Amino acid sequence: MTTTQDTTTPKEKTSGVTYTPEDGLLLEVEDLYVEFHTPDGIATAINGVSFDLHQGESLAILGESGSGKSVTAQAIMGILDMPPAVIPGGHIRYCGQDLLSMPEDQRRRTRGPEVSMIFQDALSSLNPVFPVGWQIAEMFRMHRGVNKSDALQQAIRLMERVQIPAARDRVKAYPHQFSGGMRQRIMIAMAIALDPAVLIADEPTTALDVTVQAQIMALLEELQQERQMGLILITHDLGVVADVADRIAVMYAGRFVEKADVVELYSAPAHPYTRGLLESIPRLDQKGQTLAAIGGLPPNLMRIPPGCPFNPRCRRAEDVCRRDRPELREVVPGRLAACHFAEEVINA
Amino acid sequence: MGTYVIRRLLQMIPVILGATFLIFTMVFALPGDPLAGKCGERPCPPAYAAAFREKYNLNDPLPIQYGKYVGNLAQGDFGETTNGIKVIDQLKARYPITAKLALMALAFEAIVGITVGVFTGIKKGGFLDNLVLISTLVVISIPVFVVGGLSQYFLGVKLGLFPVTVTSANPSFYQLMLPAMVLGSISLAYISRLTRTSLVENLRSDYVRTATAKGLRRRRSIGLHALRNSLIPVVTFIGFDFGFLLGGAIVTEAIFNIPGVGGYLFRSIRARDGASVVGTVTVLVIVFLFVNLLVDLLYGLLDPRISHD
Ligand SMILES: Nc1ncnc2c1ncn2[C@@H]1O[C@H](COP(=O)(O)OP(=O)(O)OP(=O)(O)O)[C@@H](O)[C@H]1O
Ligand code: SF4
Ligand SMILES: [Mg+2]
Repeated sequence: MTTTQDTTTPKEKTSGVTYTPEDGLLLEVEDLYVEFHTPDGIATAINGVSFDLHQGESLAILGESGSGKSVTAQAIMGILDMPPAVIPGGHIRYCGQDLLSMPEDQRRRTRGPEVSMIFQDALSSLNPVFPVGWQIAEMFRMHRGVNKSDALQQAIRLMERVQIPAARDRVKAYPHQFSGGMRQRIMIAMAIALDPAVLIADEPTTALDVTVQAQIMALLEELQQERQMGLILITHDLGVVADVADRIAVMYAGRFVEKADVVELYSAPAHPYTRGLLESIPRLDQKGQTLAAIGGLPPNLMRIPPGCPFNPRCRRAEDVCRRDRPELREVVPGRLAACHFAEEVINA
Repeated sequence: MGTYVIRRLLQMIPVILGATFLIFTMVFALPGDPLAGKCGERPCPPAYAAAFREKYNLNDPLPIQYGKYVGNLAQGDFGETTNGIKVIDQLKARYPITAKLALMALAFEAIVGITVGVFTGIKKGGFLDNLVLISTLVVISIPVFVVGGLSQYFLGVKLGLFPVTVTSANPSFYQLMLPAMVLGSISLAYISRLTRTSLVENLRSDYVRTATAKGLRRRRSIGLHALRNSLIPVVTFIGFDFGFLLGGAIVTEAIFNIPGVGGYLFRSIRARDGASVVGTVTVLVIVFLFVNLLVDLLYGLLDPRISHD
């Protein structure tokens, strides 16, 4: 494995705890629930989500705004505001250890060296009053006790690694002095500084121009392959992640409604919601066609309808959909979907 | 940066001229004869009156009087009081006292205000938070002379913790403690609330979430990342307040009998001592403008997004 810092400092974990993935299994999320207890009532933002993530694997989580993608990511990172958030059930295991029952100080030490995250808006996610190099160097200083000047040297190497031009001259610059794409590269440098095993990218390119989007995705893919990270790519735009992701989980109202290999899902979605999302992507081969966006709005998370949560918006909905909740089940080998009519949808 | 400072310094000239002209006109327009009461019950002897009018250019029209005054000012001459003492000497004796009081009030309001603001901001909605919320409201809504009088009575007379009034021409740190706390009390209330609001807002920010995601201790995320940003408006407020405090605290100085510029200005106005009033106000205006410039420069240092060029 090539890393930018292995020439000077051996990778050491000051926590004293070592995490070793068994059979490459990094992360297991099992039947996770997240609620927000607000004055208006309880909103169930995550409603029984499960998935695994292995070394070198990219999982895309796809869904409309408000479907619970960021909340899932924040629950894994342990950065939800609690209150109002409550995790009434589920497990999140990292290398076999349950993060949710871990003492807070031990869990804190996993953020950065083990599990790391980059956010959508790099401008607001970086501290405006500290130089970018300082913010990257803080990772080495706080987690490994590296002294200031060595940490800054390592920060420069990371900035070079994420292809920031003239990194040495710009290490003292402030976030607002960079372009959007460069800022996101700085976020990435900070997140990969301690060589984490899992990297979560929450809509890393949503705020950027299309050409810059492609560059950032290419960088993430390169870093992931170089370091064999498990990568979780959160997006509401399948087109952006299709090249990078191996698997896709489609999220609707806090549930996974479909899980599949990216190519298979692309060619034959098994859930009407996934189909709707795919139809709303502009395609180069069919110029001039109007986008068929999904009509209607996602449900109010305080009053999720009985039966299939998607039924008020589903063109296929029948009586059974308003009565029985479809479980996520295997439709054909390796394909999971939560729809009573998944077999028909996949063959349509 | 250098050109910014020069530009700001040049901008001060019209402001100083405008301010002195206004105050000059107002003193000139004060009803009554500046000579009234100068010579006891009787009108002043004509020779004295003539000399007096000559010395203060009272026979010239207002613009000429003002022009002569500014001419002297440009040479560093702030004029003489009606008692024949140089205004500048009066200020030299009094300004250090006002500055000392101002610095003490400033230190008190900043240290206590920020500390209270941080603790209430972290424990938003707790008992301490509500207690402080109510007491700051009370402090802000009560006039200074009431706060001053009450603290003088309870802390000074009843409990004997502090001297009740200042008795020396060069008051000690201890003698100025109670006046400084009274003087700083209103700003203290503002500072604690400003710190609290600003901290609460910054604790919700994306970069504090990033700090948590970086695996930093909570103490560092709050005490460094959030607080450093929260203090930008607070330090700016403190800076401007310093400018006001250096203008002399008329009421506080009067209550505690402090021989500072506030009291001096007040007595000069009462005595229709035009030269003293105009000279003092000119100095205060210049000090205020300089402090403001320093605050603006400080703001640029605190917030790298502000550029002075
Ligand atoms: N602090 C909070 N308090 C109350 N509700 C919240 C809070 N944070 C998130 N939610 C709710 O949880 C739901 C899921 O939010 P989440 O941010 O995960 O959506 P998302 O899928 O990331 O959407 P987007 O594409 O807009 O980022 C939303 O309905 C949101 O209103
Ligand atoms: S279960 Fe029914 S309502 Fe739900 S997605 Fe399938 S067809 Fe539509
Ligand atoms: Mg989101």
